[in-house]
Amino acid sequence: MNFQATPMKISDLADNTGEWLRGTGAESDIVISSRIRLARNVARFPFLSRANVKQKRELEGIVRNKIKEAEITSDLHYINLANIDPVERLFLVERHLISREHAGGEGERGVAFGKSETISLMVNEEDHLRIQVIRSGFELKEAWKTIDDVDNKLEKKLTYAYSSRFGYLTACPTNVGTGMRASVMLHLPALGMTHHIEKVFNAVMKLGLVVRGLYGEGTQVSGDLYQISNQFTLGKSEPEIIEIIESVIPRITSYERMARKALIAESREQLEDRIWRSYGMLKVARMISSEEIMHLLSQVRMGVNLGIINTIEMKTLNELFILTLPGHLQKLEGRELDSQQRNIIRAAYVRKRLEEI
Amino acid sequence: MKCESCNKKHATVHLTEIVGTTKKERHLCEECAQGINTQLAKVPSPTEILTSLINQVAPEISEMSKIVCPVCGLSYLEFRSNGRLGCPMDYTIFRKGLIPLLEKMHGSTQHVGKVPSKAGKELIKKNELMQLRNELNKAVEKEDYEKAAELRDRIYELSGDTNED
Repeated sequence: MNFQATPMKISDLADNTGEWLRGTGAESDIVISSRIRLARNVARFPFLSRANVKQKRELEGIVRNKIKEAEITSDLHYINLANIDPVERLFLVERHLISREHAGGEGERGVAFGKSETISLMVNEEDHLRIQVIRSGFELKEAWKTIDDVDNKLEKKLTYAYSSRFGYLTACPTNVGTGMRASVMLHLPALGMTHHIEKVFNAVMKLGLVVRGLYGEGTQVSGDLYQISNQFTLGKSEPEIIEIIESVIPRITSYERMARKALIAESREQLEDRIWRSYGMLKVARMISSEEIMHLLSQVRMGVNLGIINTIEMKTLNELFILTLPGHLQKLEGRELDSQQRNIIRAAYVRKRLEEI
Repeated sequence: MKCESCNKKHATVHLTEIVGTTKKERHLCEECAQGINTQLAKVPSPTEILTSLINQVAPEISEMSKIVCPVCGLSYLEFRSNGRLGCPMDYTIFRKGLIPLLEKMHGSTQHVGKVPSKAGKELIKKNELMQLRNELNKAVEKEDYEKAAELRDRIYELSGDTNED
């Protein structure tokens, strides 16, 4: 099996998004997506921080070929990140196909992903191989089934660095063991508005889980979007880790729903006003910053969930979170834009998308 | 202000020395200060500073600090300062230092998750090797050199592509 014969043009992707933004799946009013990634390294090679240029190139070749041979899906594309420009790398980060670290890395490295963008395989990130599966809604178990299967196929072709004591050996000891990070992206505007979000964080942290922003480690929270993921990777099996996250999510989602109900009960007019104003802003504004749009989309998304606004599809809103990011706007325009130009084009793009409805 | 030492030139260097709880200030000209500097300061390297710091904070690390991985060349100190290991072998080489770290990070030091099917094969191979080595010892004891040679060849054959762990 080969990678797709025709080289993919990144600009072909710019006007749509991966399947994980469809707004389908369990609890998708609050749970945007479920994601699992596995960190793997090839035995008998140094980790990347100690690998020289030649070893890095060799690793990239080996892992790329083995991904090809493993017949993971029929439509995998491979992109060598060293051969594309920074805006295109930013674009892939915004789509969650590669990490920020991978985009900003050096030397031979790449990513393979299919048309649905459900599976992505990062080559020479912090570890030799990082496998990722993202699904729409609260679907961690299904994501695990998919990624376990991909991992099994690859394992037939590659000998992973593994020890019976420490499990899958990773460059950073925070990932050793299962090498697994499972995370769920949540939209929690009402808990934010009612200042209950801190309580959620404290409860979650007690379970050994961490809360992060939209783009993972070290990123700011914006658009009321939070990622909850496991911190420990050693000493518990993959299904056990998933079980812990799965047990806490329904409690958070029902807490968010309670907060929404309370907002409606106590101050329906104010809430409706806020939501309609945000919607109005999106429809008429001529310049919108990336920070502002996250806030506006978040409000409107909650409005759609509460049935206050019923003319926009959830999929459209979910997509707008991604399609209005700087890398996407620049790809859509086909040129580099400074921040003011982006604000103008962002506003125009959103107006156009909302007029189509 | 004049230099305390030569009492001639203008004092441009101001040193604060803390001994125990008493603070002592000294005001010197550049020349006199340099004289003191050469006495005092053989400027320590960053590694030396780090080592002395670590010795104060965590004495057990000082024992580990001399260890360098023969495979990738990473020292334990380098690992502790940037948090990244250099090769899979480091988990064995730095084991003593890693175990308490892993305990702190994960609350455990034993993997219980997925086992690659290949690792299963490796385990079988390891056991088989152990058995062959035992047989080899017995054969040598019995001076059955023909059998010993045969066993030796099989051991070489098997261990040729054995996985490190």
